[in-house]
Amino acid sequence: MTADEIRAHIDPMRHEFAESRSLVLPALKFAQTEKGHLDRDDLAAVADAVGLTSAYVESVASFYDRLYLKPTGKRIVSVCVTLSCLLRGSDELLRRIEEREGLPHGVGTTDDGELTVQEAQCLGYCDRAPCVQVDVDETMGPLSADDVERLLDDLRAGDRPERLWR
Amino acid sequence: MPIKNIVYAQREHGGDLRSLDDYLAAGGYKGLEATLGMSPDDALYQFHRSGLRGRGGAGFPMGRKAGFLPKDSAKPSYVVCNADESEPGTFKDREIMELNPFQLIEGVTIAGFAVGAARGYIYIRGEYEHQARILDEALAAARADGRLGGDIMGSGFEYDITLSRGAGAYICGEETGLLESLEGKRGQPRLKPPFPAVGGLYQSPTLINNVETLSALPPIMTHGADWYAEMGTEKSPGTKIFSVSGHVLKPGNYEIVLGDTTLRELLYDICGGFREGQDFKACWVGGSSVPVLGAEHLDTPLDYESLQEAGTFLGSAGCIVMDTSGCIVRSSLRLAHFYRHESCGKCTPCREGTMWMEKVLQRIVDGGGRMEDLDLLDAMFGRISGRVLCALADGAVAPVQSAVELFRDDFVRAIEKGAPEPEPMMEAPVG
Ligand SMILES: Cc1cc2nc3c(=O)[nH]c(=O)nc-3n(C[C@H](O)[C@H](O)[C@H](O)COP(=O)(O)O)c2cc1C
Ligand code: SF4
Ligand code: FES
Repeated sequence: MTADEIRAHIDPMRHEFAESRSLVLPALKFAQTEKGHLDRDDLAAVADAVGLTSAYVESVASFYDRLYLKPTGKRIVSVCVTLSCLLRGSDELLRRIEEREGLPHGVGTTDDGELTVQEAQCLGYCDRAPCVQVDVDETMGPLSADDVERLLDDLRAGDRPERLWR
Repeated sequence: MPIKNIVYAQREHGGDLRSLDDYLAAGGYKGLEATLGMSPDDALYQFHRSGLRGRGGAGFPMGRKAGFLPKDSAKPSYVVCNADESEPGTFKDREIMELNPFQLIEGVTIAGFAVGAARGYIYIRGEYEHQARILDEALAAARADGRLGGDIMGSGFEYDITLSRGAGAYICGEETGLLESLEGKRGQPRLKPPFPAVGGLYQSPTLINNVETLSALPPIMTHGADWYAEMGTEKSPGTKIFSVSGHVLKPGNYEIVLGDTTLRELLYDICGGFREGQDFKACWVGGSSVPVLGAEHLDTPLDYESLQEAGTFLGSAGCIVMDTSGCIVRSSLRLAHFYRHESCGKCTPCREGTMWMEKVLQRIVDGGGRMEDLDLLDAMFGRISGRVLCALADGAVAPVQSAVELFRDDFVRAIEKGAPEPEPMMEAPVG
């Protein structure tokens, strides 16, 4: 993404922060929506738009789980594995994904590059455990292993969203 | 032990107060109206008098914290609402924001008036994008109706709220980690002092409170501090939402008067108890960062002081419950895994300690444990606590250390035979 596109996104919020550095997270999140991850050029564009160095921007980006510095699939599927979900069967979901997609422990990017499955820590939907989130769409649950299988099929068949908020 | 609908107000109004009209019809914005009619100091006094304690985990008296902000600061002051909600087992803030967003917005506005803030921020975890969109809409509706912006409700008070989104990091729920993140940095906790009340966001005076804490302000200012303080016990006034999850039949958010209900009543009467053939085994009552309780504690009243006497903490009241089908060793491993993943890495004892704790527990679960591992764990607990910047490390030790103490036999059995395979998946929650 270009620095100008990023500027157009963050300029309307500038007055809300006493220091412009606060715009780095909104800028990174927006820059990521183009490809689903951030490459060197994106980091440089964010640095330019916010007025920071690329090295600084990269060190911030690397801190956050939901900013991706490596290519990901069309959709990211986050399976919660924390305690409430463990107690209601999250590991069965991952086992099914492992079986079906051939991903070790059920996580990673599928061979066709369509889907990235990752382990998530508590998603805040423990009353609907075990639960799964696709990108930053609303978290779904409780899901059975069969539900998850259907979900993966649907996501594969579905279109790539115009902007990849994740 | 009746269920209350004071902060979880939408329960009384068809389950959803997402539109401003509905919120107003339900008595919304009366608290702000009352507040704008008094002096900021009088408003602060009301907070204090209500006895409201922080609902994010530490339970610090809210009015006292608000009173710490200097009144003569040359810099602007801020209110920051902690909506990072990532403590395992906790999902109350999510439902407040999703179903009753204006009550939070009104609360952040009331707090802003009392401390003379230039702006409020709501820092919401990145995974709650659905809730963030609801809040964005609610903020726009409040602005359009003259309830945010210049001259709020004709009072001359000028104030607005910015919604900031996180990007996935539990540690950004720790208040100074949150401030770092809001300032555009890695979310690593700061050395205190200075405390946020004096040197918080941009080194300015900052009041940080949890979503549930701030959402309690509108009813307090509507009905009066004494009305609130009369509920609950002397040290635990008011109501608290318990998020209950795990093996109970009816997981969910339940608002109760503090001290009014025992753990047994919450789990069996309110949450429907357990499946046929299963019964209570263990419970992390205040989120995952607190010592675990066993069946001998079921009659403990749910309030700050009684839970402390029982050896645990009320915390965020994210109550995770395990029945007799669960394995305490596997559960402890899963928590150790969580803290190892979420340690920000700044302090060596926390970074290394959480890693070793996970390794040793993994070995036990895999059947390669040795009796000395229990002593090894014991020694590790001592080396992690107390030598670090923030409370994540203590939160990592508490559930595991208490499990090893309380359920030692289970650990010994796992070392002798390996941890039992998990029971088949529990069917979908009912109700
Ligand atoms: C590791 C860690 C994570 C925390 N996460 C949260 C959180 O997600 N939400 C929250 O309100 N408080 C959280 N806290 C507590 C905050 O540091 C702080 O005490 C709280 O926001 C103050 O608000 P309150 O007084 O209204 O509870 C966390 C603390 C620690 C040490
Ligand atoms: S105690 Fe752990 S999480 Fe907290 S600052 Fe130190 S390393 Fe980071
Ligand atoms: S433990 Fe999975 S959503 Fe909380």
